[in-house]
Amino acid sequence: MTERGSLSKEEARALFVEYRTATDERTRVALREKLVDQYIGLVEFLARRFKNRGEPLEDLTQVGMIGLLKVIERFDLDREVEFSTYATPTVVGELKRHFRDKGWAVRVPRRLQELHLELTKMIGLLGQDLGHSPTVAELAKATGHSEEQVLEGLEIANAYNFSSLDAPLDSDDEGSSTFADQMGSEDVQIENLEYWASLAPEVSKLPEREQHILFMRFFKGLTQSEIADKLGISQMHVSRLLNRTLARLRGAFED
Amino acid sequence: MDKVSISIPASPQYLQVVRLIAAGLASRLTFTIDEIEDLKIAVDELAAYLTGTQGREGTIEIEFGVESDRIEIKGTGKFAPGDKIRTELTELSRQILKTVADDAVLELNDGLPSFSLTKNKHKQS
Repeated sequence: MTERGSLSKEEARALFVEYRTATDERTRVALREKLVDQYIGLVEFLARRFKNRGEPLEDLTQVGMIGLLKVIERFDLDREVEFSTYATPTVVGELKRHFRDKGWAVRVPRRLQELHLELTKMIGLLGQDLGHSPTVAELAKATGHSEEQVLEGLEIANAYNFSSLDAPLDSDDEGSSTFADQMGSEDVQIENLEYWASLAPEVSKLPEREQHILFMRFFKGLTQSEIADKLGISQMHVSRLLNRTLARLRGAFED
Repeated sequence: MDKVSISIPASPQYLQVVRLIAAGLASRLTFTIDEIEDLKIAVDELAAYLTGTQGREGTIEIEFGVESDRIEIKGTGKFAPGDKIRTELTELSRQILKTVADDAVLELNDGLPSFSLTKNKHKQS
């Protein structure tokens, strides 16, 4: 067993050469393990960059390892490039892909994920054009999908795991405003929150922002589209947040 | 009134099917997306009383009634007698349903927990 990262550049390179030329499967496995040990520090370093996104570091490291194993197979010794330089984009790519796919609480086929994104955009655009929340038929016509596909795409919205209201709205931009920032504190802040508290103690235990959304929908009677406009987010996003909050509240009512 | 009915295991995971059927029927009546979302929330809110969060032994029979201007949905839990199930809406549920449905009832019907809800189509502007 090699100690992690303990080899010099030359030794690591020699190890690669040995690995490339080995034909016996058992030898190859052993050599590959040595290579993994050598570079696991790099994977951990890269995985740590993603650790604030709500996934355990160990899991991220595992995901990064998949990338590492790919690069170990692919690395071209004839190229004058450091292995770590070569490996970094692949490992990071693997981690990013993990987040793109795992944003969904349930495994959702790529086709449906794309449909979902398309619909999210189109509902907003059509709503503006038409001056009312679109119908399924209108959405189907505008996107070129069948009504069944649109319905499926709408339903699948609930499978998306929008884990936190504090998550950046655009996950590629760490510094962007969070949902909480956009809520605005003006009109709903104090207004009648006591009413909610008296309605159900469970509600008052929710984060204030979630209370506000419930409040706007079920007390002020704003539609999902209107709330979406007010907050500058999509109607689908409002739908998800509402559904998730309601599901949580239902759980609280169980005896 | 046209009728569509299904029977599902009394488990929350099957509510997705119910939501999809409700949405499909509402779509035929040209409900808007906002109205369809409301209908789904109403179905979830009421049906959750029958399934509980963990599911129960037994089935839920759901009947969808379709009129040109509205949808009516009735659900009945076919559970063993003696299953204690809450058939009184919480204040919060009441408030939620008032917003998303035109009529919503949760009751004990011949000893079986049941719900019914009505959602009218928007007035054409």
